[in-house]
Amino acid sequence: MIKGPIQRILVNIDGSEESLVACEYGILLARIINARLLGAYVVNTRALSDLRKTHIFLAAEEAEYARDIEEDANRYLEHAARTAATKGVEIETIKTSGSVHQELLRVIEEKDIDLLIIGELAHVRSRLDEFYNESERLMRSAPCSVLIVKDEDRVDDLFALEE
Amino acid sequence: MALIDKITEDVVKVPLKSTTKPEVLKELLQILVANGQVKDEASVYNALLEREGLGSTGLENGIAVPHAKTPAVDDLRIAIGIAPKGIEFQALDGGLSTLFFMILAAPDQSGLHIEALSEIAGMSRSTAFLRSLVAASTPGEVVRLIHE
Repeated sequence: MIKGPIQRILVNIDGSEESLVACEYGILLARIINARLLGAYVVNTRALSDLRKTHIFLAAEEAEYARDIEEDANRYLEHAARTAATKGVEIETIKTSGSVHQELLRVIEEKDIDLLIIGELAHVRSRLDEFYNESERLMRSAPCSVLIVKDEDRVDDLFALEE
Repeated sequence: MALIDKITEDVVKVPLKSTTKPEVLKELLQILVANGQVKDEASVYNALLEREGLGSTGLENGIAVPHAKTPAVDDLRIAIGIAPKGIEFQALDGGLSTLFFMILAAPDQSGLHIEALSEIAGMSRSTAFLRSLVAASTPGEVVRLIHE
């Protein structure tokens, strides 16, 4: 039997509305093409450390936010698992920490991902994005195909309709 | 929605009228209140003051990033103010602060809050870019420079 081009899908979940919509899309796609689905949340400890170094964060703030993001990660990954379960899809959730794009590149390689799904990017592309926006960097550096999910309303409707 | 998409002319004020730190916080907060982006002005103001009390968010190169985590917003909010003459904000380098980025985030959006602050920190590394922002004379010009 010939295998399809997409066997393993990874969705980047970062707590934004766009990433949750991307997750819904990934769930539907994984079910239709019978692909394995993974969802990753990267606790951005790199940014935390940068904010401390640039003195935007105090030490106490860094620790508080580190705890908060850990909780966010757990909550959003649990949400992804519950959402997938409503469509009978199993999702392997991965919580990791470090630099977002570097960690996701590592997961892509380790898990032999052939499609990365990310949420909609900013409507405006600033020259600064190329250097500082994690999604922008990921889109450019991912070694696999990348799917950017747009049109939240349409995806929500599809998700609600799909039995 | 990405931080850059939230930077529109109606959340930018040029020049700020304030001359003191508490006034700057209030004036920036007023921008968001006027746009209906903040539910409880008093509680946010107190949260901002409390954070400043722990240590100034005035950094180097004239940039200041007052921020707070608050249930008074339901999404990430940003207000930008420019004070070309500079305001005493107890900045790290002892200089006057000219460029203010106020960031407010809901308590369950810590990841996005950090990413937004990180993007501002990235901007602050380019002194030429900061100089061009401070020289801007209208909100439209500020938005154009950031979106460029």
